Amino acid sequence: MEEADEMVTPGEVLGRATDLKAGKGAYAASHNNTIYASLTGFRRIQAPPPASHDKRPTVEVTGHKAHGPVPEPGSVVIARVTKVMARTASADIMCVGPKSVREKFTGIIRQQDVRATEIDKVDMHLSFRPGDIVRAVVLSLGDARAYYLSTAKNELGVVSAESSAGATMVPISWTEMQCPLTGQIELRKVAKVVN
Amino acid sequence: MAAKPGSAPVTYSPNLGQKTRPPIFKDNDLDWVRPDGRGFHQCRPAFFRTGAVNSASGSAYAELGSTKVIVSVFGPRESKKAMMYSDTGRLNCNFSYTTFATPVRGQGSDHKEFSSMLHKALEGAIMLETFPKTTVDVFALVLESGGSDLPVVISCASLALADAGIMMYDLVAAVSVSCLGKNLVIDPVLEEESYQDGSLMLTCMPSRNEVTQLTFTGEWSTPDINEAMQLCLDACSKLGKVMRTCLKEAASASQE
Repeated sequence: MEEADEMVTPGEVLGRATDLKAGKGAYAASHNNTIYASLTGFRRIQAPPPASHDKRPTVEVTGHKAHGPVPEPGSVVIARVTKVMARTASADIMCVGPKSVREKFTGIIRQQDVRATEIDKVDMHLSFRPGDIVRAVVLSLGDARAYYLSTAKNELGVVSAESSAGATMVPISWTEMQCPLTGQIELRKVAKVVN
Repeated sequence: MAAKPGSAPVTYSPNLGQKTRPPIFKDNDLDWVRPDGRGFHQCRPAFFRTGAVNSASGSAYAELGSTKVIVSVFGPRESKKAMMYSDTGRLNCNFSYTTFATPVRGQGSDHKEFSSMLHKALEGAIMLETFPKTTVDVFALVLESGGSDLPVVISCASLALADAGIMMYDLVAAVSVSCLGKNLVIDPVLEEESYQDGSLMLTCMPSRNEVTQLTFTGEWSTPDINEAMQLCLDACSKLGKVMRTCLKEAASASQE
C-alpha cells in the first residue's frame, strides 16, 4: 500500500505516533506523541510487514537529497592503503557500502585485525602495500584520528593491487598475487571475491 | 540574484495574542516613520533560495531588504585531528563579513561572538547522533549588512542544512525586535539598530513551537519583553512558512 506523495520539509507533522511508526527521514517526539519529518522529500506510507505484531504502518520521507555516507560500525567499506607500518596500515575510505564518500575518511587496519588466524604472526608489509584497494569492515569508530577497520574474513582483504612492474596483479591464493607481465609473486592478504 | 516573478518575496507581520495594547500613537500622529517606510510590526519581505554554492553539500542565499547573506554547509566530514573523540556528530559554525558588507569599508572579519550564537541556535535542532564522529561545517558570509544580520543568517543556515540533507528536528527561524523609546520595531534595519535602546533576538523551531535561543541586550520592561517575545514567536512561525515554501519549490524543481 502506498499513498499519494506529498512534499514535506523538516519539522512538518506527519501523523500521530499511535497510528504510525517513524521510518527513514522521520522521528517520533515522545513529549506529544507526534511524528515529524526530519528531511525534505515525499511522505510515503508503507504497510507493516504481515508477520509483525505491530499493525501500525510506517511513514517515511523519501526522494530527498541525503547527506554523504558516513562510515558506521559494521559497514563494509572500500579503502585505498596509504601507509604501511610495522603494526598498522592506514587507508583512506573511498566507498561506504555501494556509495562513494564525498569527503575523505581515514581508517586504520591494526596487525591483529588483518586475518582471523595466527594473528600474532602477521607481517603488515607482507599483507598490504601502499596503493592497494582493500575491502574491509568497520570495527568501531576508533579513536580521534581514524576508524578501525578489519580484514579478518575470507571475503575481505586486497581486491586490487598493482605490481612493481605497474600491472594489475592476479590473485593466485589467499596470500599471493602474481604479476601478469613479469610472473613475479607478491604477498598480500587477498580477498576472496564472490560474484 | 533577483527574485523571479513567480516567487516574489512576501512581507508578513506577526499578530499579537489576544492581549493587544491600544496603540501608543495613532497612525496619523506618529512623529517618526521607519527608514524604509514599514509599519512597526511589519517584517521585511523575505527571499530565500537554496543551492547557491555548487561545491558545498548544501547552501542557501537569503535577502531581507538590503541584508544579503550566503550560508554554505560542508560535510559531514572527518573531524579535525586535534579534536577529542566524540560519539555524536559535531557542528562547527563560522560567521564572517565580506570587506564590503558595511558602509565603512574595512577588513572582512570573523565574528567570534556571532559564530558561537549561530552554533547555539542551530545545535538544538540538528540530530547530531545521525553522523557519529564527524563534523558538519557551517560557513556564513554576510554580503551586505543591512541590519538583523544574525537572525537572517540563522534562518538561512537552517535552510542550508536542510538543503544538505542533514537530519533536523525542525527548521530554525529567527527574528529580532528592537526597542526604540516606547516603541517596539520588528526586524530592525542597520540605522534603527544603531540607535536602539535594547534588542531581543528569538530563534525557534516553528512547527514544534520550541525556542532554541533567546538573547536580550539593553534595558527592557517586563510588559515590553512579553510583547516582544509574542511578536517574535508569531513572526518566526510566519517566516518558517516562507522558508518551507522555498524548500518545497527547490525540491520540486529538482524533480523535474
